[in-house]
Amino acid sequence: MTKIILITLLALTPLFAQVKENIEVPYVAYPIKMGKGFDQVNGNCLMCHSFGYILNQGPQPRAFWKAKIHKMIDAFKAPISDEDAKIVEDYLATYYGNGK
Amino acid sequence: MKRRDFFKTAAVMGAATLGSSAFGSEVKIQQPIDNRPISKFNFPEKRPMITHSDRPPLLESTRDVFTQAITPNDEFFVRWHMPEIPTYTDPEKFTISVNGLVQKEYVISLKDLKNDFEQVEVTAVLQCGGNSRSAFLPTTGGVLWGSGAMGCAKWKGVRLSDLLHRAGLKEGAQWIGFNGMETAAYYKTPGFVRELHLDELDDHVIVAYQMNGEDLPYLNGYPVRLILPGYYSDSWVKMLKNITVTSEYQHHFFMDEAYRVPDNATESEMPDHLAKKTKPITKMNIKSVIGFPEDNSTIAMNSQLVVRGVAFDSGIGIKDVLISLDGGKTWESSILDNEARGRYAYRAFRFSFKPKTLGKLEIMAKAVDKFGHEQPFAKNVLWNRGGYKYNGIDVVTVEVV
Repeated sequence: MTKIILITLLALTPLFAQVKENIEVPYVAYPIKMGKGFDQVNGNCLMCHSFGYILNQGPQPRAFWKAKIHKMIDAFKAPISDEDAKIVEDYLATYYGNGK
Repeated sequence: MKRRDFFKTAAVMGAATLGSSAFGSEVKIQQPIDNRPISKFNFPEKRPMITHSDRPPLLESTRDVFTQAITPNDEFFVRWHMPEIPTYTDPEKFTISVNGLVQKEYVISLKDLKNDFEQVEVTAVLQCGGNSRSAFLPTTGGVLWGSGAMGCAKWKGVRLSDLLHRAGLKEGAQWIGFNGMETAAYYKTPGFVRELHLDELDDHVIVAYQMNGEDLPYLNGYPVRLILPGYYSDSWVKMLKNITVTSEYQHHFFMDEAYRVPDNATESEMPDHLAKKTKPITKMNIKSVIGFPEDNSTIAMNSQLVVRGVAFDSGIGIKDVLISLDGGKTWESSILDNEARGRYAYRAFRFSFKPKTLGKLEIMAKAVDKFGHEQPFAKNVLWNRGGYKYNGIDVVTVEVV
């Protein structure tokens, strides 16, 4: 009997299947800086990508960040208001700027 | 042009100029970033890797992985574009649809894919077009990868041409569009669709369900992905769901805007003077990466040091990987493995010597193909705004003690 159950179980298990149930992608708490404008960053950026996308870029000039925000709006159609876009730009220039 | 329109155009052009000035003007090419830590987190079916992002997942292999001619599945890099990826796919119910300008549209299950067609294998390098992008200064668009957005695997599946043959192409069929199951957070965000011209598709192009003898890992595109040997990975659509044949090129963001380089002989531009015309990145250029020793590691003087790494190109074939220990003044051939894996696979190289002098030692590797093309020094790599196709000579600096 045990043998039959074992054979049945083996038969039900596809040979290589590794995705047998919902895959869980871990949540990584990226060490994003808190400060003025963070709520707008949290609300607008996180919809499409993690804070890893910001940290990955390293310190960059304000114009770089501004261009990024407008790429999100123009190319990827992120619904970011003009007001929020400016706040996010200020935040990025302040906390992830390089002084330029 | 009406006067008002002129001002409108002038304003737009002003904005465009402002956009390009975001890059600054001084071009400098450095060694790609090579000191990022691996994450504490295991992603599904992966060892801890350099984790640039969790959503979408962006995982990079570390340098030591490139001592092997085949990249293990659990260390193979991961790059998705959209935040929504199905977290479960039932292999019993999954189907791929073939449609468009064909005699007979059909959907096919994974089981039929494995039974109805000749099963073929190809070993091929999968490399992100932006691999090593962190070398480019000023910083370009895109994820700032080190050199670990590449890997080589043995892929198994069926020929795309066989799938298309079953459907039967109608007269005028020119383009094949591919899309997978990842989706954006917003309805209006352009989907990740790729298109290939029929001329680009040969019998090496396969629809694969297996990688190195196992099911594709979830994060590498389970259950099925497109394999395009010799081409950058942007067209290797993951979780492939739909294949559509058309007569006309369909415009898509990821074709028209992303993964493009300047359309000129050197595929380059200046940050303050961007090229007007661009073209898709398509085929890979020649490249090699040292897997051992690690940068900034310590080596004992007079001990036997075996430098190891991998080299590849778009399929022309690697003839030689040369090593320099004097800053590129003189070069010596390394030992290459055999070509058994085929022309789209990594060639592993090794070079053995005993360091005789104390202090810093630079080890350089330069691949040469069968036509004589070779990698440029990093400082001679030319800049492009997307940071694509970096292939500078790899340099590892060790301390001899």
